[in-house]
Amino acid sequence: MVEGAAEQPVANVIPAPDTSHYRSESLWTKSIRKFARDPMGIAALVIVSVFFVIACGVWAGWIGQNWSALQADGYTGMSREHWFGTNINGQDIYARTIQGTKTAFEVGLIVAILSTVIGGILGAVAGYFDRTIVDEVIMWLYGCLDAIPFYLFVAAVAFALRDQPYAMHVAMIATFWSSTCRIVRGEVIKIKSLEYVQAAKALGVGSMTIIFRHVIPNTFHILLVQGTIAFVSAIKSEVILTYLGLGVKHGVSWGTMLSESTFEVSAGIFNNFVAASSFLFLLVIAFNLFADALQDALDPKKVTAS
Amino acid sequence: METLQFAFRKILYAIPLLFGVTLISFLLMVYFGPDLTYSLIGKNPTAEQIVEVRTQLGYDQPFFIRYGMFLKEIVTFDFGNSLSTGERVSSILLRTVPVSFAVALPGFILSELLALALALIAANNRGGFVDKGIMVFAVVGMSISFLIVVIIFQIVFCSVYGLNLFPVQGWVVSNVADYIHYVAVPTMVIVFVGLGYNTRFFRAVIVEELNRDYVRTARAYGVSRFRILSAHILKNAMIPISTRVIISLPFVVIAGNLVIERYFNIPGVGLITYNAITTGDLPIVKAVVTSTAILYVIALVFTDIVYRMIDPRVALNS
Repeated sequence: MVEGAAEQPVANVIPAPDTSHYRSESLWTKSIRKFARDPMGIAALVIVSVFFVIACGVWAGWIGQNWSALQADGYTGMSREHWFGTNINGQDIYARTIQGTKTAFEVGLIVAILSTVIGGILGAVAGYFDRTIVDEVIMWLYGCLDAIPFYLFVAAVAFALRDQPYAMHVAMIATFWSSTCRIVRGEVIKIKSLEYVQAAKALGVGSMTIIFRHVIPNTFHILLVQGTIAFVSAIKSEVILTYLGLGVKHGVSWGTMLSESTFEVSAGIFNNFVAASSFLFLLVIAFNLFADALQDALDPKKVTAS
Repeated sequence: METLQFAFRKILYAIPLLFGVTLISFLLMVYFGPDLTYSLIGKNPTAEQIVEVRTQLGYDQPFFIRYGMFLKEIVTFDFGNSLSTGERVSSILLRTVPVSFAVALPGFILSELLALALALIAANNRGGFVDKGIMVFAVVGMSISFLIVVIIFQIVFCSVYGLNLFPVQGWVVSNVADYIHYVAVPTMVIVFVGLGYNTRFFRAVIVEELNRDYVRTARAYGVSRFRILSAHILKNAMIPISTRVIISLPFVVIAGNLVIERYFNIPGVGLITYNAITTGDLPIVKAVVTSTAILYVIALVFTDIVYRMIDPRVALNS
């Protein structure tokens, strides 16, 4: 027994820092704070929300319901009864524009959500089972669908589905999932080598569980950004598809209004055109700016002064 | 020798893609497609005529034989006759592809070059006023729908409400002056629409290059900004840029631009395809879709092989 050996522990001279007021940060809380500091992003979000509220109003049946009734005898200008005037059939342009908001959101949401979900799942599976037959098959499918030009693909799908109303949505989803898939696959290949995934594998957790519980939640930020991009592409493509006759058949959309207006503008009647194109432009640019701000906020490499 | 092996492997890899693409086209347009029997016969067909046309179209054959017939059509480039005009599809394509090319090419080249120049300027003044201005312009350009641009340009440049400088539609080209006269507004539309996307993409590529270590080293050695941009960054940035350009070429050339050709009434592949889509003329749509897809796969293989030849890093990796 050594004489003078200390029997009590040496007192800590430096006190431990008081961590009780630290907040635990995650990617999401940091992103929300970064986003809140971006004026352009907030403005864009406000505009998009206004459009969304309008669309919900139409869904609930409050506004823009009278879009197909023939109310006047042809073209009329702006008046107190018809705020934007009427089109060649006598239908109220204002109601049609509002109804078009609902169609745009319908198309956009269906295509964005479904294509992101499908692309995310397939991308995660392809990335996780990298360099196996599963990956090769999914990449082959991706390559094939990429090769066919978009509008012609929609035409081909319209032929196959014999003019079903959702042919356009199906075609859009079948084309948009591929870019999400590729990006998610790249990210999953990186995630796969992280330690907690290796630990889960070593513990014997099944592959599917790992993919759905650990890998995919870490790609949510990618999925969110891709979803917004898909939404915008869906709305823009719908306009051109309706012009080609492949788009919305029941109901009215901005694409329908724009196709109608192509003949009218050479006669000098601009109501239809201005209404549809300004609404479309506003929504698309707001969403684009929102997607940009979202991407900047979610990017962990972009350090802003906090 | 190694390049040949690499090329061979890439071509081998492309074969399942070609099969997949033709299979998808076949499934969508022939197998699940509309029944063409009645379009080919006239009115009041007799029962024997119906049976005869059905055997001719192969509707009673099993799946693989019909797929084989489809493949044979592609290989011999004989898609039959158009349902609306009765002209042979291959001769239609031969007639219209050069026109589409002539219309789309100036716009394509101009938009890529302009986007590259703008992206270089933007990346150079990164974060500055010029950069923000160019990016705002790019976002606005991205957000305006194609259709709207066409209509506005037509009003401004072609109609009596605007400048009335160029013809509203048509394509009567016999010399260079005529060509410029007719191609001006379509080119402007194509440039305007493509500028937004391309500028953003090119700028992202260039900025990523600018952040690399070798650039910092070169600056530390006192190499001028201009020389870094032109001699080093451009070469490295060219790889993703040229891939994108080459891959979008088939779509530009063959698919034509449906909206522009329809609007300006230019007799190219786009107009033919548009008429085919709206009238349900299957052989033409079949031909255009399959040719474009196959050209795309070829372009993919081509870029991979060319990469291998110009970038030695790819050789080391593969």
